Amino acid sequence: MSIVASGIVASDSPLPAGEAGFPPMIELKAVSKSYVRTGKGGTVLALDAITARIGDGEFVSIVGPSGCGKSTLLYIVGGFVPATSGQIVVQGKPITGPGPDRGPVFQEFALFPWKTVRENIRFGLTEQKVPRAEADARVDELLDLVHLRKYADLYPKELSGGMKQRVAIARTLAYRPRTLLMDEPFGALDAHTRALLQDELLQIWERERKTVLFITHGVDEAVYLSDRVLVMSAAPGSLKADIRIDLPRPRRREELLLNRRYQELVIEIGRMMDNRH
Amino acid sequence: MSKSLAERLGPLLVIIGLFLVWQAVGMMIGEDYFPTPIALIPAMRTLLSDGDIWGDLGHSLWRLAMGFLLAIVTAAPLGIVAGRSKAVRDFITPLLSLFYPIPKAALIPIFMLWFGAGDLSKILIIYLSVTLPIVYHGQQGARSVDDKLIWSAQAMGTGRLGLLLRVVLPAALPELLLGVRVALVIGLIVMITSEMIVRQNGLGYYLFNSMDMAQYKLTYLVIVIVGALGLVLDFGFELIRQRLTFWSPRQREPMVTEA
Repeated sequence: MSIVASGIVASDSPLPAGEAGFPPMIELKAVSKSYVRTGKGGTVLALDAITARIGDGEFVSIVGPSGCGKSTLLYIVGGFVPATSGQIVVQGKPITGPGPDRGPVFQEFALFPWKTVRENIRFGLTEQKVPRAEADARVDELLDLVHLRKYADLYPKELSGGMKQRVAIARTLAYRPRTLLMDEPFGALDAHTRALLQDELLQIWERERKTVLFITHGVDEAVYLSDRVLVMSAAPGSLKADIRIDLPRPRRREELLLNRRYQELVIEIGRMMDNRH
Repeated sequence: MSKSLAERLGPLLVIIGLFLVWQAVGMMIGEDYFPTPIALIPAMRTLLSDGDIWGDLGHSLWRLAMGFLLAIVTAAPLGIVAGRSKAVRDFITPLLSLFYPIPKAALIPIFMLWFGAGDLSKILIIYLSVTLPIVYHGQQGARSVDDKLIWSAQAMGTGRLGLLLRVVLPAALPELLLGVRVALVIGLIVMITSEMIVRQNGLGYYLFNSMDMAQYKLTYLVIVIVGALGLVLDFGFELIRQRLTFWSPRQREPMVTEA
């Protein structure tokens, strides 16, 4: 099996290619996290030796009960929070901190409230010292992509939740990270807006084929979007199952809801999340 | 932002009410010891026209401005850095706790000893007093910046200094400016106090001098002027603060609702 694809040389890796023929983008090697208990002393294990591989261009969701440490795992992959032991390897190199190759999108949007929509999207391009004209063009492109051109000069506090999350996604896409790290990005939105943004995200993913690591507790959302769903157990979080979502793409919500296989997967993963072993 | 008429007129009515009570009490007690506001009007006219007080007002404001600007330039960066660095915080927290409860006016004699009875000791005492709230609130603001704002910027490649200047500082600005507002009022108090103790010039000097010369109408007038000065400075600063932090979600504005 050849693992050389899109300019990424990974042939010296002893590991086989990523799932479903994706060459590996991110490898989690026995990642553990423990916290020192404040006051009481001693440590609490939050993540227990998580090993997984996410392929280049693959859409992988992590589901699990709340408090299982799935968001912490994402922060570790982002380089925002250090692992207690284990390693994150991105394109063959162990990470040492955050980097523009891994763009986060958070449930709380985390927009810069003192900047307009346009300025928020532009922030990463300025930080990356992209030439002015090129940055302007890129911002316009993204404003169109997330349907926010009309609102380019508004401030975050003037926007609804769905619009804020669109801005956050555009801000992250702007600097072209290879991987999107999404931490329950639609969790704070109402059902209608959530469905809308799921569809928009799928469209963008179909076009750009970025690697996506998507944290959610919504099983149907995970199945609808993903190539693979990793199921985590309750604390201390460990990987309980790795399920390939063998549903055809491009996916359409109304077709999928009637699809037998989709229903089976949602029920099967939902059951795994219910019994806490 | 639309306020109701009652909300707008409220503060004005309170002030008018206060003057009415003053007038009534003054008329009951007798104007020699307690001049009524109406009796003060002619005195006010002469005070403002013969120009005596303008020089003192100028001296006072100049020292306040110097102490205040010095504090903003040094205390705001210190507070911001302390909010993000545990080492700096551990260093300045004991200092803050030590100096905070000391009435700064008590230090004036020592400052006079060291720096003389001129402007320098007064500016330094104002500086010292207004530094604490600015450092404290700057630190609070910088500490409570959402981790995810920092992480978002770090993922875009923002370095340590860039984070402080382009993320932490603006994010902490509403809280920092709250500290500056507190500092402004404290600065005004210390300004007057220092001038009362080190009698050289300024509004505090003028106040005590008129007292010594038994010109009680002048004494009351200066108190009114000091009060008005505080009001004007606070109101002016509030305008600046709102202009700088209009984007803050705490200041409500109509929201665009569309998914």
